[in-house]
Amino acid sequence: MNDRISALSGQALAIMIALALGAMVILAVSESPLHVLLTLLDGAFGNPERILGTLLQTTPILICGVAACISLRGGLFNIGIEGQLFMGGFAATWIGFSFEMPPVLHVMAGLGFAAFAGLAWVAIPAFFRARYQTNEVVSTILANYVAVLITSYLTINIFKRAGGAPDTPPILESAYLPQLFSFSRANWGLVIGLVLAIGAHFFFTRTARGYAVTEMGANPKFAEYGGIDIKKQTFFLMLASGAVGGLAGGIESLGVHHRFMEGFAPGFGFDGVIAALLANGNPLGTIVTALFFGALRSGSLLLEVDTTASREIITVIQALIILAVSAQILVRRRATDSSAGERRWKF
Amino acid sequence: MPRAIELRSITKRFGSFVANEGVNLAVKRGSIHAIIGENGAGKTTLMNVLFGLLQPDEGEILIDEKPVVLPNPAAAIANGIGMVHQHFKLVPSLTVADNVFLGMEILKGGLIDHAAQIARTAELSRQFGLKVDPTERVGLLSVGIEQRIEILKVLVRGARTIILDEPTAVLTPQESRDLFETLRGFVAKGMTVLFISHHLEEVMEVSDTVTVLRHGKEVATRPTAELTKSDLVQMMVGRLVSFDRRPRGPVSGSRVLAVDDLWARDDRGLHALHGVSFDVRAGEIVGIAGVAGNGQTELAEVLSGLRPSTHGSVRLGETPLTGLSARAIRGAGVAHVPGDRLVRGVDRNASVSLNLLMGRQDKAPWSRGGIINRGYLADQSKALIERFDIRTRSAAAPVKSLSGGNIQKVVLAREFSGDARCLLIDQPTRGVDIGATEAIHTEIMRQREAGRAILLISVQLDELIALADRILVMFAGRIMGDLDGGAVSEERLGFLMAGVDEHGHHVEREMAS
Repeated sequence: MNDRISALSGQALAIMIALALGAMVILAVSESPLHVLLTLLDGAFGNPERILGTLLQTTPILICGVAACISLRGGLFNIGIEGQLFMGGFAATWIGFSFEMPPVLHVMAGLGFAAFAGLAWVAIPAFFRARYQTNEVVSTILANYVAVLITSYLTINIFKRAGGAPDTPPILESAYLPQLFSFSRANWGLVIGLVLAIGAHFFFTRTARGYAVTEMGANPKFAEYGGIDIKKQTFFLMLASGAVGGLAGGIESLGVHHRFMEGFAPGFGFDGVIAALLANGNPLGTIVTALFFGALRSGSLLLEVDTTASREIITVIQALIILAVSAQILVRRRATDSSAGERRWKF
Repeated sequence: MPRAIELRSITKRFGSFVANEGVNLAVKRGSIHAIIGENGAGKTTLMNVLFGLLQPDEGEILIDEKPVVLPNPAAAIANGIGMVHQHFKLVPSLTVADNVFLGMEILKGGLIDHAAQIARTAELSRQFGLKVDPTERVGLLSVGIEQRIEILKVLVRGARTIILDEPTAVLTPQESRDLFETLRGFVAKGMTVLFISHHLEEVMEVSDTVTVLRHGKEVATRPTAELTKSDLVQMMVGRLVSFDRRPRGPVSGSRVLAVDDLWARDDRGLHALHGVSFDVRAGEIVGIAGVAGNGQTELAEVLSGLRPSTHGSVRLGETPLTGLSARAIRGAGVAHVPGDRLVRGVDRNASVSLNLLMGRQDKAPWSRGGIINRGYLADQSKALIERFDIRTRSAAAPVKSLSGGNIQKVVLAREFSGDARCLLIDQPTRGVDIGATEAIHTEIMRQREAGRAILLISVQLDELIALADRILVMFAGRIMGDLDGGAVSEERLGFLMAGVDEHGHHVEREMAS
C-alpha cells in the first residue's frame, strides 16, 4: 500500500516538475504561463463541444494505453502500438469501402479485422521475443516505420481515391462507428475504450491467466518455478497487446476519419505508451492519464487562437513529462529493486 | 613477516542478525590467504568491511600495521586495497582500456587520451600476465577475460592487496587455472591476495594460509600445508549437536521417486551431476549432504524441471518425469521448496495470499472458469497462515514485509498444502532463526508421517541428522555414500564430503583433470 502511495506521489511529482519546466519554457517565449494554462483548460473543457473534443482525442490514447498496459504487466514493452494502430486503421478502412454489409455487422467486421491486423503486425516480434528473447523494444519500434510506410504505399499507389488528396475512398455509411452526440465526432470508441480498460483490470486482478502473466512480469523466475509457460504467455500477451493496438486504429478510421490517409492518427500510439507508463501499467489509471493527454491535445487548439504560444508548446510539455517520468521510474527502481533483474524492462 | 592486513575483533550486525562476531584476521604480506566457509558464514560481509563498503560495529582495521578507518571504498583504494566482486561491473559497449580507466581517465587537453590508456593497459597486462586485447569491446568477451579486466581495474588504481570474492564461481576449469597462475604471479611480486571460496580443492591448491569462518565466527587460521580436505570440512560444518534426532517409526512405504544414472550440466556447461542414482520411498526423508556447490542445486533443478538433464531417468511411481516441463512435473505430483527462496520461491512485492496461489491458479476450487475464486483464496490463506504460524499483519501484506523465516513458511505452506506425493526441499532453514527452524522441522516430520516421499537437501549436517532416514553424501556431482541417518559418524561424513570414499580413494573433481 505504501508502495502504491509512493509510486503515485512520485508520478504526481514528476508531472509537477515537468509542468514547472514547461512554464519556464512558456515564459521564455514571452507568454504568461498562467494565461496559457487557463487557455488550455478552457480549450479542453470550456463548453460541452470542447469536452467532447477532448474525449475524441482521449479515445485512441486510452485504447493504445490499454494495449501498452497489457504488455507492461507481463514485463514486456510493446512500443510498436503506433504501427499496429496504422495497420488496424487501414484494415478497417479496407473492409469499410470494399464490402457491402448490414450496418452493425459491417462495423464489427471492420473492427475485428483491425484487431487481427494489429495482432498480425506484432506476431513476428512476439514470436522472436518468446522463442529467442529478441528485444521486443527494438523489433516493435522498427515495425512501426514499416507499418507507416506500407499503409502509405497502399493508400497512394493502390487504393488512392480519384482526385487530389492522398486518401483512400471513403468507407460506406454502414461501416460508420456511431457518434455519441450529433455535434461532435466523439464516438462509441470511447465506450469501447472504457470497457477495455475495465476488462483489462478485471483480467489482471481476477483471472488465473491474468495472475500468471502479472507474476511473469513481476518475477519471471518465480513464474517459471510455479509452472507458468513463459514462452507461451509472452507470445499470447504480445498478440493481445497488438490486437488492442489494431483496434484503436480501426476505431479511428470507422469512427472519426471514415477513410484512411497519410499521417493518419499521428502519435496516438506513442501517447498511449506514455499514458500507460504514467499510470504504472494500471489500466484504470490509464483512463485518467489518457484523459490528461487528450486534454493537452485538444486544449492546444485554442492555444493557437488565443495566445501567442504555438501549439508545439504542448509537444514540449509532453516531452518534459516523459523525461521526468522516466527519471522518476529509474530512481524508484534503483531504490527498491536492489536485487536486480526482477523486471525485465528497464529504462 | 610483516602483516599487510590485520582485522581485530570485527563485529558486524544487521539488526538482530550477527554476520561477523569478534573476527580476527591477520594476512601476511606476499601470501595468498583463503577465507573459506559455507554460504552465510560471513565471508563476504567481512570482506565488505575491509573494503569500506560496510562499517564494523566493533573492532579495528590495520593496513601495513597502521590503524585505519575506511568509511568508503575510495578510502580502501587509497590504502592500496582492491576488490574484485563476484558480479562484474563493466560497460559492455566500451573497450577494455576504456573500462579499465573508467572514472579515472587519462586526459589530454580535456579529452580522453585513448592511445595512452591503451598503452598503459597493454603494459599492465604484459607485466602481470593478464592476457587481454585493450582495444576489444567488452561485450564480446568471455567471463574469464571480463574477470581479468576487473583485476586490471584494481591494479591500475594501485592496489597492493587484492580481494577476490568467489572468483572461480563463474569460471571454467581452464580459466580457474589461469587465474591461479596470475595470483601466484602477484605474490611473487610482493603483493597480497585474499580470496573467498567454498571450494576445498581451490583452497588446497592455491592458498598459503586459510581462515575458516562458521556462523560469523573465525574457527581457525592455519597454514594450508598442515591441513587436509577432511579437516577443512570438519571446521566448516562444525560439530553435530544443535538438534536432537526426531523420533520416528520405520519406513515401510513403496518407492515413489526413482532417479537412475542422472547427468546434467551447470550454467558453465560443466558436468554438475555424474550419474546420480537413488530412490525415495513414501514416508521417507532422504537427505542430501555435501559442501555447497557439489551438484545439489542442480539436482533439485533437474528434478523440478527447471534444468534439463543430459542423460538418465527420473520416475515418480510409474510416471516418467524425464524431460518434462516444470509445469508437468508439478502436475504429476512433485512440490518444490527452492533453495533460493527470495529469487524463485516468492514474488516479494505480491501479497501473502497471491504467493500462496502460485502453481494452482488454474485448478478448481482455486479458480473456476478461469476466474480466481477470491473467497476460497481468502479462506485458504487465513487457514494456511494459522496452520503454518506465518507471522504477518494480514494475508494482503506484501511478502517482503515478513521476516526470512516467515517468508520460508509461506513457501512451505504453499508447497505442502497441495496434493504432491513427493516434496523436494532445498535448504529449508537457510537464514532462518532458531524458533522458525524448529517449527519448519516439525512440519517436515509431519509431512513424513503423512506418507510423502521427501528429498531434503541441506548443507547443515545437524539438520539432516535430525530429520533424515538416510543421508546421501554428494561430492563433485557424485553420490559418495548412503548412510543410515540414525547412525552417522561425524568423521565418516567429513571424509565423504571431502571426496574420500570408504576405501580411502580420492574422487577427483573435473577441474583437477
